[in-house]
Amino acid sequence: MNNVLKFKNKKANVVAQDEIYNFAYLDENTKRMIRRALIKALCIPGYQVPFSSREMPMPYGWGTGGVQVTSSCLTTDDVLKVIDQGADDTTNAVSIRNFFKKTANIETTETTGDASIIQTRHRIPENQLNEKQILVYQVPIPEPLAFLEPRYQETKKMHALSEYGIMHVKLYEDITKNGHIETAYAYPVKTNDRYIMDPSPIPKFDNPKMNNNPAIQLFGAGREQRIYAIPPYTEVTSLDFEDYPFDPSKAPHKCSICGSNDSFLDEIITDDDGNRSFICSDTNYCNQRMKDK
Amino acid sequence: MEPILSVQNLNKYYGDQVGCKNMNMKLYPGEVVGVVGESGSGKTTFINSISGNLNPDRGKILINKDNEIINFLEISESLKRLLIRTELAFVHQNPRDGLRLDVSAGGNISERLMSIGQRNYGNIRQTIFKWLDKVEIDKSRVDDFPRTFSGGMLQRLQIAKNLVTSPKIIFMDEPTGGLDVSVQAKILDLLRKLVRELHLSVVIVSHDLAVIRLLADKIIVMKNGEAVESGLCDQVLDDPQHSYTQLLVSSVLQV
Repeated sequence: MNNVLKFKNKKANVVAQDEIYNFAYLDENTKRMIRRALIKALCIPGYQVPFSSREMPMPYGWGTGGVQVTSSCLTTDDVLKVIDQGADDTTNAVSIRNFFKKTANIETTETTGDASIIQTRHRIPENQLNEKQILVYQVPIPEPLAFLEPRYQETKKMHALSEYGIMHVKLYEDITKNGHIETAYAYPVKTNDRYIMDPSPIPKFDNPKMNNNPAIQLFGAGREQRIYAIPPYTEVTSLDFEDYPFDPSKAPHKCSICGSNDSFLDEIITDDDGNRSFICSDTNYCNQRMKDK
Repeated sequence: MEPILSVQNLNKYYGDQVGCKNMNMKLYPGEVVGVVGESGSGKTTFINSISGNLNPDRGKILINKDNEIINFLEISESLKRLLIRTELAFVHQNPRDGLRLDVSAGGNISERLMSIGQRNYGNIRQTIFKWLDKVEIDKSRVDDFPRTFSGGMLQRLQIAKNLVTSPKIIFMDEPTGGLDVSVQAKILDLLRKLVRELHLSVVIVSHDLAVIRLLADKIIVMKNGEAVESGLCDQVLDDPQHSYTQLLVSSVLQV
């Protein structure tokens, strides 16, 4: 409630926040519970902290975990940016942004540099983040070992005892089948030389950006009820073999709008004849480059 | 010479039911100890209790690791699991219990290697081929899934998967159970060769006296959860003292 009062005093003459909701939708007790999980997660980088996930007014798979984390981190001074596959203007991003505009009446932005909290689905922005920013990931399946070891109790034990041989079996199978490591997204990483972590389905192109990032990185999985985190300036390494080192890889094209050579590209099919073009997946990055020209 | 594994006064109960009681055993390096007995005599409970699969209620299990005696029941869970991964190996009766069926044959063999930190694909691949050769599986099958293998091949694959990190002590629970006789003979032949070549120390459980006679140096005869007779394999089987052992030996079909 304090948040609401503060907010009302500060911006009393601006459009009022929808009165039915507590600030940022979740009630204060829930937010406190989530903040505790977040602090624990930051203390043990890469460790999955269970939390009591709430029903959110959107279906699972739409970012209920991310939304709860964002809601618990938001203050009235925050500026929120939401991206979905790098874009600010897709349904998911627009809906979540409107959700927080309505329930928290905070300022939103599409500019990476202006945002204090960025909620993301499946991408890390191209622009370097800074120490004042929080990046919130939406996570569908937090357990990197889930597809290899279906018993949850057993995966907990494997994490506790760092029994991670099986993770490399997956990479071994990849190389054996395809001649190279085929995993292209949700590429497993080791955090702070201890826990193996699923970076959520970001392309492996983004993996190096997690390493030593000055921003706080928070991961929320709503359906699976897990929160994990990477504190600022933490070592994050992608798993690999000595003779098959990690390769972030990238489509060998330029963005056909801004001409960028080093951003992650989406492939767009432009007509029925199979013609295609490649454009930046990070729309804000692309727009800004165009403006600067 | 010091025993590599020594079991003292081991007891395992299931509620009021006796699993096995007052079991003692000494396993010396390079030696094969056979455990025989009828169904329900506690053989499997015994081997599961000494290999870390079950928690025994009382007793001591001492493992000699490079002249350091480890009290297996009192070490931490993490050390225990590390030992199970590196120093010990368990060959199940049903190879499907010991293999990952949705991982290729090579992947199965490589798991233990990678769990002890090997990170060079080329070297791992070499080791896999070496072991496929040792257990007489054609190299061309390296990338095939275990589900396409025959029963005998599966068992050989399980043996390779377990032996790849050169464990010191191997536990085998009816390794030839459920295989037809000619395939059994092949597996036994292979096991005997590996035991000699690699100087393995083995505890093998079987109800088949022929298997035990072929492989084991020493024998423990179990009935109702207790050891009724033990000693050198040939001696016990040729001159059984306990009435149950006599019954067991006399009930082998003479062809």
